[in-house]
Amino acid sequence: MSKDKTIRIDPVTRLEGHGSLTIKLSADMKQVKDVQFNINSTRFFERFLTGRLMEEAPRIAPRICGICPIPHHLASVKAVEAAWDVTPPPAAVKLRRLLIEAKQLSSHAIHFYALAAPDFVFGPFADPAVRNVAAVLKHLPDVAVQAIKLMEFGQELCRTVGAKAVHPVTAIPGGMLSPLKEEERDDWLNKVPEMLENINKTVDLAKTVVNLYLDVITKVAVTPTYYIGLSNEGALDIYDGTVRVQDPDGEIVADFEPHEYTKYYGEHIPKHSYATHIYYKPAGYPEGVWRANTLARCNVNERMATPLADAALKEMRELVGRPSHHTFAFHYARVVEMVQAAEWIKTLLEDPDIVSTDVKLSDVEPKAGEGVGIVEAPRGILLHNYESDEKGILTKANLVVATNNNIAGIEKSLMTAAKQIFEQEAHKDLKLPDPLVKT
Amino acid sequence: MADPVSIAMGQGSSCWGCFQSLVDIHLKLADVLPLLDIKYWQAVADFKLHHLEGYPDKSIVVGLYEGMARTAEDVHLLKIMRDKCQVLIAFGSCSCFGGIPGMANFYDIEECYDVKFRNNKTFSGGEVPSENLPSIEPVVVPNSDIVDFDIYLPGCPPTPKLILTAVTALLEGKPIDLPPHTVCHYCDREKKETPIEEILRPFTGHADPDRCLLEQGYICMGSATWGLCEGQCVNKGTTCRGCFGPPPPITQDHGAATISMLGSYAPIDPEQMKDQVKDAIGMFWRFDYPTSHLGRIRIKREEAKSR
Repeated sequence: MSKDKTIRIDPVTRLEGHGSLTIKLSADMKQVKDVQFNINSTRFFERFLTGRLMEEAPRIAPRICGICPIPHHLASVKAVEAAWDVTPPPAAVKLRRLLIEAKQLSSHAIHFYALAAPDFVFGPFADPAVRNVAAVLKHLPDVAVQAIKLMEFGQELCRTVGAKAVHPVTAIPGGMLSPLKEEERDDWLNKVPEMLENINKTVDLAKTVVNLYLDVITKVAVTPTYYIGLSNEGALDIYDGTVRVQDPDGEIVADFEPHEYTKYYGEHIPKHSYATHIYYKPAGYPEGVWRANTLARCNVNERMATPLADAALKEMRELVGRPSHHTFAFHYARVVEMVQAAEWIKTLLEDPDIVSTDVKLSDVEPKAGEGVGIVEAPRGILLHNYESDEKGILTKANLVVATNNNIAGIEKSLMTAAKQIFEQEAHKDLKLPDPLVKT
Repeated sequence: MADPVSIAMGQGSSCWGCFQSLVDIHLKLADVLPLLDIKYWQAVADFKLHHLEGYPDKSIVVGLYEGMARTAEDVHLLKIMRDKCQVLIAFGSCSCFGGIPGMANFYDIEECYDVKFRNNKTFSGGEVPSENLPSIEPVVVPNSDIVDFDIYLPGCPPTPKLILTAVTALLEGKPIDLPPHTVCHYCDREKKETPIEEILRPFTGHADPDRCLLEQGYICMGSATWGLCEGQCVNKGTTCRGCFGPPPPITQDHGAATISMLGSYAPIDPEQMKDQVKDAIGMFWRFDYPTSHLGRIRIKREEAKSR
């Protein structure tokens, strides 16, 4: 009989989904035998999207994720438009971009401040009763208020454009159902300076944390993988572009149009997770395991699309290089992307087209066809692929959602970390700062 | 200041959108969070399941349960939440009615496995995962069949305003008083009692922004749906799909009520109507199939299999 030890972490916390962790060790706990990231639920969207009207998919699919419903809404509507050969008016595309950038801002803010920051503010060994965002509010009220205001800006701008902040409804094949009113635009423009000020404070806080935890960032769970992300001719883009794949050495090995994805996307069905493992098909599994999300996007692209964000990216690269395999640098890249979202929001609100009423076609017709819609969700590239019959009923769906792309990569970096802890005891030599707040 | 009120937030199979909507009370968080003693909230605090299981029964004042019960683990968490909490709230439409993922009940579970694990465009020949995982329930049974709830707070998601109203009432120990109106009550559009000649799909033409969408031919479930949303979609050019479920009593059949309403607006031959609607079940029972009459028959069919 095996005398192996098993450690179970159930549930993995500060994660807005379902996961637990299984670590199998030798009896003396000095050898890591297996690490499993168990995603323990699934809801079968691909099954029940089938049979629905195509135009209803953008109203159903957002329920895949309550923290990133807008990317699902938009990837879905793009897939329908691709299947029906519909091109929405340019002003509608600008409104959609405003919507997705607003979501990027609020999601990154909640992730940075509520999901990640408690570890760094209170230190990784603080009591669970303290190591959370409620305690940030108690001990660092100014930081909490700037966090809440950024989340509020993003979420409420989503509500203005999408009718609902969670599970938006305004994107329709052929455009948007509700133009932005001039008074709404003016109201949002007035709020931009305070938002930018809070972004600057966030960047400063991030730099402080990065410097304090540099040893952790550069040593723990550093794991080479492939990376995948959207690219607009080398600039980071979250609404449109080609799909780039970068190998662990930093070479761009693929740069393709969304409809070509089946040549490059491999999907492995693991024994121990309801979320599947996605990988770069030409390299095979598990060699081709890739990661998506913030750092992946920064890795596959040469530059950011906006000036302040690009300066922030250069500063990040001085510390971690390109490609960066530093798992903890995903947080840093998140802040770089927040800057880009803020700059995009300002630019779009200042664009006269944003209040155009020419945001919806009136002659959309369903037809038989297949379409792929890709956008970047905050946690990584997101793909919806639908087939339509001639009446516009959805007959087949394949979804490769953001976190799916990361499950195998997360497992790989957990294995790295587990070996560092149990086999090398490397954590003992880490330079950890005093917590910013002692409780 | 009074002692904080203990609270646990459980998540079944769901999207986290209801909790995101709770976070969207924004600066009011600064007032509300200090009044709460969070005992369990997996996405926010680092308490594990064994912490929750270890609290004495009924020792937590308020529990919110988001999501439906897709797995054996969801069922377990739901029962534990019921054991530990004095007041248990069905939080959001998944928890109240089965929600959008309840549409999986349109199909047999094996058909669900086929597209998810066995064969799709990016894989073939996979098997249903099972190692260190909870089993999947063959059919989505409403949460209220598994435990009793004290309060139902529907919505996909419930609005921040609704959540704040409910939480404030609970903290003050007062009953939650919710208006019973349908979505139409909050809709700015004008009704002229004109019969519908033809059902239009939502991408067709340009809708008159001032007139009732349903009267223009666009299917809108507003008149059969609880208006706790305060008309957020219909006032932004978009039809209602019924995400808050039926108005009180919420046990009524939402889809049947919608069809009955549509019948009174649209003097169209039933067969023609069926052709024009195309997907009646996915349109009218999108958020509450498991608690509907048809959905009950589906669940009974599953129960008969295991006998």
